Amino acid sequence: MFDYPIFEMPFIGHRLLFAFDAILHVFISHGAAVGGSIILALTQWLAIKNNDHKLDALSYKILFTFFILATAVGALTGIGIWIHINIINPAAIGALLRVFFWKWFIEWIVFNAEMILLLWLFLIWKKHPLGTPGKQKVYKLVVSYAVASWLTMAIITAILGFMMTPGNWLKSYFPAEPDYVAALFNPSWIPSLGFRTFWSIAWAAAMAMLLTWFFTKKDLELRQKAMRLYGTVLLVCIPFFVLFGAWYYAQFPQAAKDLFWMGAITRRLAAHPEYATYLISGLAGMVLIGAVSIYTKPKHAPVFLAVIMLIGSMGLIGEFERVREFVRKPYIIYDYMYANGVRVADVPYLNKTGYLKHAAFVPPEFREVTEQNKLVAGKYLYQMQCRYCHTTNGINSMKMRTIGMSEEAIYIRIGSLNSPATPFMPPFTGTDAERKALAAFLASLATHDQPALAYQKQLDEVTK
Amino acid sequence: MSDFRIIPGDIPLPLPTMGLEFMEPFFHGLLIVAWVVHILFINVLLGASLASVYFNSKGHKEKNPIFDRVAYLLTTPVTISENMGALWGVAPLLLVSILLTPLFYSSSIMISPHWLHIIYGNVVAFLLSYLYKYTWHTLEHRKTLHIFIGTVGVALFYTLPLAFMANVQLAMTPSTWTYTTHFWDALLRADTFFRLVHFYLATFAVTGVFMLVYGMYKRKSDDAEDHEAGVVLTRTGKTWFIIPTVLNFFVGPLVLFSFPDYGIEAFFENGYFWGIILTVALALFALYQLLKDFFNDDLPAKRVWTVVAVMIVAIISMASLRHGMRMGLVKPVLDASHAKTELFQKESMIAFEEAKNAPVAPVITQADVQPGQVLAEKHGCLACHNVDIKVVGPSYKEVATKGYTADQIVELVKNPKPENWPGYMPMPPMPQVPDEDIKQIAEWINSLK
Repeated sequence: MFDYPIFEMPFIGHRLLFAFDAILHVFISHGAAVGGSIILALTQWLAIKNNDHKLDALSYKILFTFFILATAVGALTGIGIWIHINIINPAAIGALLRVFFWKWFIEWIVFNAEMILLLWLFLIWKKHPLGTPGKQKVYKLVVSYAVASWLTMAIITAILGFMMTPGNWLKSYFPAEPDYVAALFNPSWIPSLGFRTFWSIAWAAAMAMLLTWFFTKKDLELRQKAMRLYGTVLLVCIPFFVLFGAWYYAQFPQAAKDLFWMGAITRRLAAHPEYATYLISGLAGMVLIGAVSIYTKPKHAPVFLAVIMLIGSMGLIGEFERVREFVRKPYIIYDYMYANGVRVADVPYLNKTGYLKHAAFVPPEFREVTEQNKLVAGKYLYQMQCRYCHTTNGINSMKMRTIGMSEEAIYIRIGSLNSPATPFMPPFTGTDAERKALAAFLASLATHDQPALAYQKQLDEVTK
Repeated sequence: MSDFRIIPGDIPLPLPTMGLEFMEPFFHGLLIVAWVVHILFINVLLGASLASVYFNSKGHKEKNPIFDRVAYLLTTPVTISENMGALWGVAPLLLVSILLTPLFYSSSIMISPHWLHIIYGNVVAFLLSYLYKYTWHTLEHRKTLHIFIGTVGVALFYTLPLAFMANVQLAMTPSTWTYTTHFWDALLRADTFFRLVHFYLATFAVTGVFMLVYGMYKRKSDDAEDHEAGVVLTRTGKTWFIIPTVLNFFVGPLVLFSFPDYGIEAFFENGYFWGIILTVALALFALYQLLKDFFNDDLPAKRVWTVVAVMIVAIISMASLRHGMRMGLVKPVLDASHAKTELFQKESMIAFEEAKNAPVAPVITQADVQPGQVLAEKHGCLACHNVDIKVVGPSYKEVATKGYTADQIVELVKNPKPENWPGYMPMPPMPQVPDEDIKQIAEWINSLK
């Protein structure tokens, strides 16, 4: 049942649109908020313990940067993930919200605590300098802020884990009856939470190292102290997130494990899984070389090393999120809903009665495929089932994918989308006439000299 | 149902009421409250950020440090309300997403990609507001630049309600939906226009009340400049509250009567007009309180708190009557949507059971199939290769003409050589297919000559 209007992101496609917002959010929420708050709490603790005014002043500068990033970019792009998926895959976010409403609601309350603590902390910090009794209050605020930030991540991670490994969450398909507790305690929640926690701290430490370089240009002693501190944190976190990562990976369904190497690079390079190894070890190498050399020679290490360490970390984070999204295919909620919003259980019915028939936002004259309307009907089918991952002539374009294929060849290919050749694609859902209509539309993209004109002509004829 | 051309479906999962009867009314109550808090923060954000830029340039032009102080003081409520406003927008979004799923999702998509402005526009406006605040002293002697930064940020903030209003107005009026409705259709409608005017006026009124409270605290300050700034805030607060509130008495009816007829009828039938009477009476009382002390710069605390209390009741009353209007407008389509979804699920279940119980049909049923053909199907080869025609890859008859040995084909499946087939899409390697299977497939291919 496809019951939403159609929004099509031209050229860049939905995946890149979504990734832009989501990855920005991950960089900032994990770095400036979750990991950042832990780094700040640690720095405050040390500054208070050693009565170290310089370290305290440095931690305020780092806090200021993190505050701007977390509130202006992190929080809004977080809401943005929701807004994006709202318009990209409403069926999926609608289902997730029904299952996770109370967890999301609690997350919102914790998010409130997080923001209020951060604002409070930020607005009173300067009123309570080191050495005054009020400083303890500041420290307590930092610690509470760190706890609240981590809790928001813990809850959201449950939802992400659920999408890949939902466990036994569905008591019955018809009527759909979720087991809310099983959904929360899905198999990959705890391992992925541990994984994210430690790389958040490591990533925040890397960010703090780059910031320290800029904030300590005139004080190399302070630089050495701070770099050693953050460098230790970063290096200590690495074995932990590698271990949690292995545990997390072990929870993947077998089909997802099989897609791992393809997800790690692109399908075009699937013949060369070794490229993925080079890519990942290259990025990890950038982080390690940067971190170790700054740690050993903090006073002499050039900023270039901090920059490559940061770029390496961002690359690894982006790589992880890409792989996680890719290996979940062809599902958006494993075994329940395909990436294009079709519920697995509804496929037999839609194949029997037709996909367009139930599409409320398709004009009635296109809900039944005829020879006269098949280009337009085919375009609707493309928009409702394919545009989640494809564009017509941009990234991952249907035009390039079908170039040189006859209409009949496309028709045959559509019949086995979810086969071992392309296990990451959902099957085509609909009647045979609809499959022909989709083939006709796709063929028109590459074969007609002016596909838009042929399409427009048919649209005008049917709707006049 | 002739009012509605399009009936969207709902999400086929139960509402998360935990089986409790009172949960649904509770959700509605929570929606009203959370929405009010969100809107109040947004009002203060819009009003205070504009006032800050206004007083900044006034102080610069008149060389008056008091106005500059007022402008700077107003940046704190801007920081707080922009953060809290975004935060308290999440709860209504969460509740609307489960209570009005088919309506709100549909309208969000119809006005996209413009709907994304509330994220990206907001991020940029946020950063500009921080830049404006934290360069206050650095740019002390470059005021034109500073005021310019502030103005751009404020202007951007004022564009965000356009996207919001287009969305909620469209979600509330499913009777206006067509198959091609988009953002500008929703924005350039009389009802959206009047609601925007009403909203912006209310923004100034709410900021006016906020300034009365903020001014009262600043007047108590020992710092002479802060005290003077408090007086300015109190004076401004009175004007900002009184003029927009009076104007809204006239804009309000225009908003009400621009809704579709069936909504207005439900509104009056269900007695929500009492909410209007109550709201107007309370607003008039608050106006009277302020007009009495209009020329008194030392506005007593009792007066301020009376106005605040009266206006909080007025706002809750207004929010409730709005919720009544909203439900009256969407209830018919929501009921139809639920019924439609239920019917779909019932029929889908029958097909699902049928498919589950159907005997698993062999993929290829002809009597003369060779094992190689079955294996080719099993391993997905036939997704790209057909016996007779070119699909993604060449037809097997064409492959057969090349006369590869079985061992060569095993090698080529594992390490395809695209240079052998110019003009075709390169084949991905299929290392997961066992050699034995490939040999049988090869035998079948070569038999097709």
